Amino acid sequence: MKKKTKLSSLALIASLHLLLPSAQAQSEPGITDKVIKIGMFSPMSGPAMAYGFDVINGARMWYDKINREGGIYGRKIEVVLEDDRCNANDLVAAVKKLTEQDHVFLLNGGSCSVAVMGAREYVERARIPLLMLNASGDGALYPPSPYLYGAFSISQHAVGGSMVQFAAEHLKAKKIGYINNDDAYGEWNLESAKAQVKRFSGVDIQVQSVSPNITDVTAPLLKIKAANPDVLLLTAYARPVGLIVKRAFELGFNKPIVLAINSTADLKQLVDNVGNKDAFKNVYIQEVLADVPGAPKLQWIYDMYKAAYPELAAKSGHPQPYMPQGLPSAMAVVNALKAAGPQPTRAKVIEALATMKFDSGVMAGPIEFSKQDHAAQKSAIYIKYDGTTMTRVPGSFKSSWTYQP
Amino acid sequence: MSISDIWLFIQQGVLSGLVTGSVYALLAVAIVMVFKTTDVPNFSQGEIFMSAGYVALFLLVVWNWPYWAAALLAIVVTALLAALFQHVVMQRVTASRGAGVQMVIATLGFAYVLKGLVRKTGLGDTPRSLPSLVPQDPITIGQAVLTLLDLAILGAAVVVMLLLWLMFTHTRTGQAMRAVGMNSRGAQIVGIQLSSIRMQVWALAGVVSAISALLITPKILITPDIGHLAILAFAAAIIGGFSSLPGAVVGGFIIGIVENLVGLFISSNAIVVAPFMAIMVVLLARPQGLFGGKLQVKKV
Repeated sequence: MKKKTKLSSLALIASLHLLLPSAQAQSEPGITDKVIKIGMFSPMSGPAMAYGFDVINGARMWYDKINREGGIYGRKIEVVLEDDRCNANDLVAAVKKLTEQDHVFLLNGGSCSVAVMGAREYVERARIPLLMLNASGDGALYPPSPYLYGAFSISQHAVGGSMVQFAAEHLKAKKIGYINNDDAYGEWNLESAKAQVKRFSGVDIQVQSVSPNITDVTAPLLKIKAANPDVLLLTAYARPVGLIVKRAFELGFNKPIVLAINSTADLKQLVDNVGNKDAFKNVYIQEVLADVPGAPKLQWIYDMYKAAYPELAAKSGHPQPYMPQGLPSAMAVVNALKAAGPQPTRAKVIEALATMKFDSGVMAGPIEFSKQDHAAQKSAIYIKYDGTTMTRVPGSFKSSWTYQP
Repeated sequence: MSISDIWLFIQQGVLSGLVTGSVYALLAVAIVMVFKTTDVPNFSQGEIFMSAGYVALFLLVVWNWPYWAAALLAIVVTALLAALFQHVVMQRVTASRGAGVQMVIATLGFAYVLKGLVRKTGLGDTPRSLPSLVPQDPITIGQAVLTLLDLAILGAAVVVMLLLWLMFTHTRTGQAMRAVGMNSRGAQIVGIQLSSIRMQVWALAGVVSAISALLITPKILITPDIGHLAILAFAAAIIGGFSSLPGAVVGGFIIGIVENLVGLFISSNAIVVAPFMAIMVVLLARPQGLFGGKLQVKKV
């Protein structure tokens, strides 16, 4: 009788042991044997829709692909969508709803850097991983939090550094003119630009910071022109950049001008605003994708979009320019879930993210995290743009700025 | 900085400042006109200016109208919109003995409505430009570089100011507007219809705003947030004395030039605060503004 009891106890322990990992996974919110629930959010309506609508579609088509291939350890990805309208209040409300009502396993959203900053405190309190979509989100990423990962497009801290690398390495510039905005974005990209300048001996940077609302750019531009730089780097937003390129042409500034990704969302409109294609004779633009938009290397993304959303793809204006930027964060989510094993927990996903590195085939540089830096992407390619045609400059240019606690 | 750089900066700063300053001056004139006749600082002035630009842009880009027709309709629509706001909202607030603060809030509400309507046009937040009627070829004056468009902006703004001066001094409507501005009750006693004159003043302010938008947007680009330009016009009006039309004109030019000189000789970051520094300097030296007349003590 005693022997029988001992045997049945052992059998019970053994079966409990076998069941334990599964029970552990299922104690995590948003995970069942068949489904992993992911909460997604971006501006899907309103004036900032262009930043996120098709970005979220880009990410979703990657999840759909994974589901078609059998899911992750047999579990299908189920997406719950929310519209954050690029607004901090709506975004935090979306994050709370997804976490507390929809009980998602992790969050994958955010296309607007300022809005996504608002979610940091809640995400840390709820201990739920958030992988941003295409927001650079530097304000939320530094100092690093174990729960927040972003800058899959490019970190704003890397924008300036990459531009300086391009100017010094490719254009052989010794004296660099730099015009940024006098806000947080401007400060971040200038910080990395200054750090990058230090890597080159004999390279000097002359900075002018302007308000995004500036109406007359004569003063900053005249000061830059008087300093006689070899190149002018512009990291300001689209309106000041349009004014500067136009005024530079009027003032006879003929050195190369490099435009950061911050101002190149609508290049045709930029050319219309400047009003003269001759102003683009010596202009380069920064691009965070792996190649020139529309290049064969990236064609698979657009084919995938057409197959996933045939009706949308038939409409003019779709896919929106930022669509490909949705894929790398979805890839990171999938990779982290795979690395977390058949019984994933949020802690295991966070552990996997902390040392993740992969080439997305979409962005200019690898997606790479470390314990000290949760900004995914720090490289850019550069394109010579004459107002009509785009010619890629070989290679990609990486910012070396790192976060110092 | 060498002497030749300093001389170049002064020439360029002053000439470029006169161009942008001329538009600040026009907007300041619109603000002062409304303030003098209704006692309301019109905080929707910037959005009225912005809406005029978008009406023209919409007609040109979406409906492909010819420029002259789009410009004309933009002026008419803006004038009607401003007059309608005075008639439907401001007049009622005044009739219900609304306090000044209620009227100010009404203008702020109007600003939000206009911005919301513009965002509904589908033209989005992308910066855009109205086509320029004048070639934008650079020309050199001394060492400074301007464009033909710059000269056209300055010239057209000065012509509009002269026309306004002629209207205020040589027409019955203009004189009635001035009378309402000086003493509304007295004007009413001598038979001037306050509501009609106030509507006309708002319409005129709309016309001036629309002309300003048509002049300057090919140069500074337009977004739904461009209404912030009115802050500079307010600064110009304050420097001029707030109730003086010539003061508003001079204030506009001062702001335009000061912005550039501060940017050139102090710092580009300081351009945004330059108008407010100018206000402080002027008000410390002359609290009533440059053209504000003598300070009077009122019985309360």
